[in-house]
Amino acid sequence: MEFPLIFWSVVLWMIAWGVIGGVVTPRVFLRKDMDISNAPLAGAFVGAASGPLGLIPLWHFAPQTTNRWVLLSAVGTVLILVTAFAVADPDNVCVTNGDLVASQITNGLVMGTIYGLMAMGLTLIFSILRVVNFAHGEFYMIGGMMVYYVSAVWLPGTPPVVAVLAACAITFVIGGLFERIFLTPMYDGRVERPIEYAVLVTFGLAFFLQYFVQALAGASPVKARRFFDFPIIRLPSAEDPWLIKTSKANLTLFDTVSISNPRFTAAVIAILVLLVLLFFLYRTWYGKALRAVSQDRQAAAVTGIDPHRMNMLAFALGGMLAGLSGAVLVQAFSWVPQVGMLPALRSFVIVVLGGLGSLPGAFVGGLIVGLVEAAGTGCIPDPQRAASYIPAYGMIILTLTLLLKPTGLFGRKE
Amino acid sequence: MRRQIPAIAGSLALGFLAAFPLVYGAADYDYIMHLWITAFFYAILASSWALLAGYAGQFSFGHMAFMALGAYTTGLFNNYFYLTSAATGTCFEIPFGSWYFVVLDPIGISATPFSCLDAAREAWAGNVVVKKPSLWFGILFGILVGGLFGWLIGRLVLRLRAAYLALFTLGFSEILRSVLSAELNITRGQAGLELDPLFPNGITIFGAVFDATDKLPTYYVMFALFLACIAIMLALERSRFGLFVRSLREDEDAAAALGVHTVRYKVLVFVVTSMIAAAAGAVQAHYIGIITPNILIILQMALVVAMAVVGGLESIIAAAVGAMVLYFLLEFLRNSFTIGDVTVDMTTWRLVFFGALVMLTLRFQRNGLLYPLIESCTRSGVAEETVAKRVAGASASEDAEAAK
Amino acid sequence: MIDLKVNAVQKSFGGLHVLKGVTFQVQGAELIGLIGPNGAGKTTLTNVLDGAIKPSSGTVYLNNARIDHLPPYQVAQAGLGRTFQVTRAFRRMTVLENLYVPALAMSAGKSQKDFQAQAMEILEFLTIDHLRNEYGRALSGGQQKLLELGRLLMLDPDIIILDEPFAGVHPKLMEIIYRYIHRVNDAGKAIILISHQMESIFTLCRRLLVLNYGDLIADGDPETVKNDPAVIEAYLGEEDDRSGIGSAQLGAPGNA
Ligand SMILES: Nc1ncnc2c1ncn2[C@@H]1O[C@H](COP(=O)(O)OP(=O)(O)OP(=O)(O)O)[C@@H](O)[C@H]1O
Ligand SMILES: [Mg+2]
Repeated sequence: MEFPLIFWSVVLWMIAWGVIGGVVTPRVFLRKDMDISNAPLAGAFVGAASGPLGLIPLWHFAPQTTNRWVLLSAVGTVLILVTAFAVADPDNVCVTNGDLVASQITNGLVMGTIYGLMAMGLTLIFSILRVVNFAHGEFYMIGGMMVYYVSAVWLPGTPPVVAVLAACAITFVIGGLFERIFLTPMYDGRVERPIEYAVLVTFGLAFFLQYFVQALAGASPVKARRFFDFPIIRLPSAEDPWLIKTSKANLTLFDTVSISNPRFTAAVIAILVLLVLLFFLYRTWYGKALRAVSQDRQAAAVTGIDPHRMNMLAFALGGMLAGLSGAVLVQAFSWVPQVGMLPALRSFVIVVLGGLGSLPGAFVGGLIVGLVEAAGTGCIPDPQRAASYIPAYGMIILTLTLLLKPTGLFGRKE
Repeated sequence: MRRQIPAIAGSLALGFLAAFPLVYGAADYDYIMHLWITAFFYAILASSWALLAGYAGQFSFGHMAFMALGAYTTGLFNNYFYLTSAATGTCFEIPFGSWYFVVLDPIGISATPFSCLDAAREAWAGNVVVKKPSLWFGILFGILVGGLFGWLIGRLVLRLRAAYLALFTLGFSEILRSVLSAELNITRGQAGLELDPLFPNGITIFGAVFDATDKLPTYYVMFALFLACIAIMLALERSRFGLFVRSLREDEDAAAALGVHTVRYKVLVFVVTSMIAAAAGAVQAHYIGIITPNILIILQMALVVAMAVVGGLESIIAAAVGAMVLYFLLEFLRNSFTIGDVTVDMTTWRLVFFGALVMLTLRFQRNGLLYPLIESCTRSGVAEETVAKRVAGASASEDAEAAK
Repeated sequence: MIDLKVNAVQKSFGGLHVLKGVTFQVQGAELIGLIGPNGAGKTTLTNVLDGAIKPSSGTVYLNNARIDHLPPYQVAQAGLGRTFQVTRAFRRMTVLENLYVPALAMSAGKSQKDFQAQAMEILEFLTIDHLRNEYGRALSGGQQKLLELGRLLMLDPDIIILDEPFAGVHPKLMEIIYRYIHRVNDAGKAIILISHQMESIFTLCRRLLVLNYGDLIADGDPETVKNDPAVIEAYLGEEDDRSGIGSAQLGAPGNA
């Protein structure tokens, strides 16, 4: 970085005013007899974006200030940060190379879609059972392993679709069984402090599944074949008489944005699954029943929905979504039994950011985290260090969310 | 009589452990001693986690982060700080009486680092005294840093409940791990930070001379640390601290309505358990001699959780004993075996077994496998006490109940 | 002399005004009944007085010290204790330990032993002494209520708010609670008793406060309050009359 002083002093200035805004605004709102659940968030963003210039009007006009202020300030905060970065480090690839920026943004969105899919599984489980599944990453890992084993070891030449379906089936079954055996005692008050019990028992499941797979499959990395090759169309020539050839290369759009083949395939599948999921939740009886239970357990039970069945379905489905994310990504990354750790942490971040229990929140959160990670890995000068810090980006988001708005962006109050 | 059984068994066990290194003489002496030292290490971690999670209800998955903070603080102290009798002129230094307190530059990851102190040494030509401050100061610093971060985290998670708390602390642990691996200029990352042994120049105890690699002095240091930690935690448990911390686990609002300063005790329990974890980490780091960011991978946390759960989350002693038993089990299950032509790789299967054990314990024996045994002794007679009055039938409330 | 001044206390949740400026004063060892239909704001008022939630506006003084905006534990130490509408015994602590919590919280430098005799006396008074070493979770619902009352005796506050102590309680147990209330009152403490059991309120209390959807509509001796048109109106407006405040007690036609 050429002028680190500029960048870091801007950052410090923003943090200082963000803290002031975050701390003082709830007090001001309280004095004005207002709801303060959004106050720390609003104060922090307005403070960070505009310092005293925005905070004083915010406090002064308090009841009239709307969410639009917060949204504008959030955008402003990001813009200021980006500008400060660009000014401070004019030679950075992210500043000089527009193609790279476009690629990073597209890649961020592509990966964000898949992250969102996986996080939706976690949030689905939470919205029905009030349980955070600490073994979510292991479902992801098993999904990928399954695809590899079906398509490369057990039945070489199986079409990828079959392998992915097998992955879905197995994670669905594991989820359902686990719920039946270990979580059912929670519902009828046989377990004291059920939430803590669930935290521990899913943590135990994670440990168990991880080493179970390692014991069966070994610890060395495996990699699955690509699902799909892109066609290249060109004029026939003497040496190469084919009109259409398939290629494993990256997908290149407008000569600027380049997305690697496996990620692209994965994102397309993720979007398709998302559509199916939405159809399931909003158009089928089971989906409607699930949503009913998540909104009001008792009322749903009265209308004849068996909540225990819904619990099982939710856990199985949630596990399956994680398994599916793994199944589509196994062609992009090499796979070891520990591979679920990072995606699991990322999903936790996403669901807290989006609001535990909110499906749209999980999707939007996924996109945000995808973009932040793309920016982090693409632009930070020292690439090796940038990669080491990948878990930290998410955790910074998590910490900020928990401090400023513990219910998340789309969360309901408990 | 029955109530005394745990105390008697405990004293016998302690006597055995105190005498063990002196009487044991088999060929695998060093190996067994190593197992015991590590078992104490895990016992300290598991019991302090039991205090945090079982007693105070703060299900933190960041316990190993505090352990690592202790280890890395003393590790950095051990590698970076020197006392010299003359100014180096090349390093960052602070005059300190007639001495200079010297801080080295980042050592980087090259195999043969050349520090600013080495440069100064060449210039001095050997007539300047250079010495390392005692590593016990480093350990002390480690404990303090652990406590400081415990305080910080405790303040941050005050309003977080259950799953949020677990997520946040897991996140903290992961951030620390990425910082330790990323800043490898300072911490040497995966290459590992080397530390002096606890007694770099050996030690003489009652005329017997032990050199730096002998296990016996370390055994007694770790044993003493274990005893001290257990004693501190038991004293806290029996005092108002234990009572308040349990009351806020049960019902924070009700405790506050009865005058308990819940915020203070919640933060305090984080500080205390973090300091204990940091102490264990610091001493163990010097014993092992090298630390990498892998000391705080989730597997380590999962092991500690497993030990506490299997022993009994709500008892410090049960968690400690559970940790030792499980650690020895883990070690002895390490040997792979062959049935027919199938080799069972026990190094992994034992962990599978562990995971299953934790889940089943939680499901069917929520209080752990050991704690109910202890409790059945210490609480023997309670049922009779209750029934005695019921039989007499004198209580009005009994009638009231019968009518319900 | 005990002196609680509640001055224009307001509380709103979002847009819902639950307390709309409640003002009253408690002086000396009064025994006051607080009644009102479900959702009137009685529990909310208790929470505000106890510091569990902050009032939107208004002040509360206890013995001339301001206690609104204090955290609950400081309010408790200042001398205001309360029970919860839903019992909140510490379930995995023994009955004795339940009693030691407030005792130790109130006095620095003492240990459990110093309070053993006092705790045993209280348990005997409440007739649950045989359960002293049982865990809170092993107690029946009624016994847990008694345990909560016992904890308050150990806290020994100047003023006690009992939030529906009679709900779900057998007459035998009710008698014990009566005795308890008299004992506390005779010891010079003030009591605010929240209940839907009109009979008990009328037997025990010499002053009645009526809260109706955030407004304190009556404050006076039971006879006057009973015949207050506003009160009758408020209770007649009630659709769900499970409070038991029927025509029999109020001398007005019920809304069967
Ligand atoms: N935390 C809260 N958030 C939003 N509304 C609340 C909250 N607490 C209470 N309320 C509302 O305030 C009103 C008064 O509730 P409160 O519990 O004080 O009534 P109450 O007089 O104690 O009733 P009951 O006799 O049924 O116990 C109710 O409408 C309730 O829905
Ligand atoms: Mg109420």
